[in-house]
Amino acid sequence: MQAALIGNQNSGKTTLFNLLTGSNQQIGNWPGVTIEKKSGALRGAEGWQVVDLPGIYSLSPYTSEENVSRDFVLNSRPDLIINIIDATSIERSLYLTTQILELDCPVVLALNMADIMKRKGVTVNEQKLSAFLGVPVVSISALKRTGIDKLIDAVKKCEPKKSVGDMFSPQIERAVQSVQKDVVGDNKRFKAVKLLERDVRLAPVTSTRIEQSAAALEKSEGMDTEQIFADARYKYIARAKAAAITVEAPKESVTDKLDKVFLNKWAAIPIFAAIMALIYFLSVGLVGTFTVDLVDGGFGKLAELANNGLLGIGASDWAASLVSDGIIAGVGAALNFVPQLIIMFLCLALLETTGYMSRIAFFLDRLFKRFGLSGKSLIPFIVGVGCSVPAIMSTRTIEDEDEKRMTIMLTPFIPCSAKLPIISMFGGYFFGAFAWVASLSLYMLAIAVILVSALIMKKFFFKGQPASFISELPDYKLPSPRYVLRQVWERIFAFIKRAGTVILLCSVIIWFLASFSFKFEYGVDIGDSMLAGIGNCLAWVFYPMLGEWSWAATVSAIQGLVAKEQVVSSMAVIAGLAEDITEGGLLFGSGVFLFFTDASAYAFMVFNLFSAPCFGAIGAMRRELGSAKKMWVAIAFQTGIAWVLATVINAIGSLILLL
Amino acid sequence: MFEKEKTAEEKKGRKKNEITLHAGQEGHLSDLKVGQKCELLSLHNDNPALRRRLLDMGLTKGVIVKVKKIAPLGDPVDIELRGYELCVRRSDLMNIDIKVVE
Repeated sequence: MQAALIGNQNSGKTTLFNLLTGSNQQIGNWPGVTIEKKSGALRGAEGWQVVDLPGIYSLSPYTSEENVSRDFVLNSRPDLIINIIDATSIERSLYLTTQILELDCPVVLALNMADIMKRKGVTVNEQKLSAFLGVPVVSISALKRTGIDKLIDAVKKCEPKKSVGDMFSPQIERAVQSVQKDVVGDNKRFKAVKLLERDVRLAPVTSTRIEQSAAALEKSEGMDTEQIFADARYKYIARAKAAAITVEAPKESVTDKLDKVFLNKWAAIPIFAAIMALIYFLSVGLVGTFTVDLVDGGFGKLAELANNGLLGIGASDWAASLVSDGIIAGVGAALNFVPQLIIMFLCLALLETTGYMSRIAFFLDRLFKRFGLSGKSLIPFIVGVGCSVPAIMSTRTIEDEDEKRMTIMLTPFIPCSAKLPIISMFGGYFFGAFAWVASLSLYMLAIAVILVSALIMKKFFFKGQPASFISELPDYKLPSPRYVLRQVWERIFAFIKRAGTVILLCSVIIWFLASFSFKFEYGVDIGDSMLAGIGNCLAWVFYPMLGEWSWAATVSAIQGLVAKEQVVSSMAVIAGLAEDITEGGLLFGSGVFLFFTDASAYAFMVFNLFSAPCFGAIGAMRRELGSAKKMWVAIAFQTGIAWVLATVINAIGSLILLL
Repeated sequence: MFEKEKTAEEKKGRKKNEITLHAGQEGHLSDLKVGQKCELLSLHNDNPALRRRLLDMGLTKGVIVKVKKIAPLGDPVDIELRGYELCVRRSDLMNIDIKVVE
């Protein structure tokens, strides 16, 4: 048995899904958190599966992610639909319900946010609403975890719908019923309405009889059938409201008060800039300078201990070196940044769950519109601060195809959390106490590059009409500590897991390539190693931005394809093996990296940030763009921009340093 | 020269937006100021998908809409209807005819 969970965007579906199944899906207070359907076993109800679907406002979907939901209910025929209603915007939520009630499928209504509802002065009489709609209604609060067991019981009962009064006026009802006779298969009533609405995607075949009914209806009502049905549905909802819902006149809500500040004409953008600055100041500046040395020192000691220990028990030179110079140096270099990432993920989780993200989209839409983007592109850009993969996937909420493709190609420019180690290491060494300013400047640079690239793309590739922007502005919510902590933990765990798997493997490979010559002799000078040989072949690519033939920087940058933090790990392994002038264990003291100036360091950072993203993000681009060719175009575009930008920065920076 | 003309026209356009509508007057939803309420008369959008979306979101004939907030840069507009808030671009609100209530 299968129950589909359906509701508007931002109605708390995923929170409820987690409660119903006991799983840990990501949640947030912005549209598009759920972009693919996910399923899990219903807790305490054997044989029942729950499927979480992307949020929709109507069964006439608008974006590709919404199609997922509609196709699922129509084609996979769930045994029951759990329709989650956001009780704080009950009228609009019930609109989808009026469509769901037309399907041949039992429905259970879950009235969510019962706690907030009371605060907003809304009272719903469950029994009366249930009697009016003919389906069970259960009040729940997904956040406070109340009413969930009752909801599960209602699902298990799986009651068929009771017949209640007609939804539409007699005249419309007659037209629907006459068309219904001609419909074959299931969901007859739903399809009849769609036929009358001339919904081409769902009902491509239309007969003259249907057309006549539609035209007659339009003539008598004085508007087209789409309007007639939307209007009739909202009238039905008004009757339901009169029967079961009372609303007190709202006072000025907390949301309105907060918006007076956060959406203030003059303060909105400075506040946004300050919030982004604060995130970087806290993670890179405050926590970064404090922890990196501490953790780094710890790993240094560990490497030394391991080295001595292994040599002490009679291990060979190369075995001890593999452990201390390869594994511990490489994995340790990535793990150094865990404390900073915790802070960064914490800030992001707070941004995502409070509802501020929708506001950013709201007030920056005007600016982004000029560049052929909209406020909706902003959500991937902010999610991208965490990781490009979910950010690229969240572009599915963008209606306009051109804008969506542009956003997919531009999202990897945002410095993701895996790039933070690069920024933090270079920034910390070359810019000292101002490392967080350097980080913030990179974020700002990223936005500037995105806007300029968007202009270029708009000019040459995408010449469509400007799209529209329709978005709900949800109320602010106090973040639930449980979810925030869980989200931070999941992301940190993913990072640590990567360090223990991919980074570990790469570190071993790099150690091997850097320790052996092409004749497989161990202990050669690192300049004669295989790694140096490979790097020297490609060093010309990086010469313009580094001002130096550096095989070490070359091979490290290329490894960013595996995972961006691998750049740092690779540099750590190489520096450890080179060991010319290691002072205080600092990587930049090593002979192979001694050439870096402030200018070339910044340029190298810029290249690593803006060039092709890691394989994970490339895969996501491939999926969302829909073709390998488009993916290659995107990669060439990104890497090209990164190379030009880095070269220019090094040239200008070197000039400034000369002065 | 051409550029100049365009900006002059834009300025005129902006001025036109600044007309004040009083209760009982008819106009476009884009003309309202923060705090004004209106009754929706009709949608005449030439983009069918967008029109469908606006209908689905409850912008049907007769609904009472209040302009709640305007984004700091002047666009989009946050409107309140049916107990919730929706952001829509000014250019899309221009295709919605209304009658001012207060």
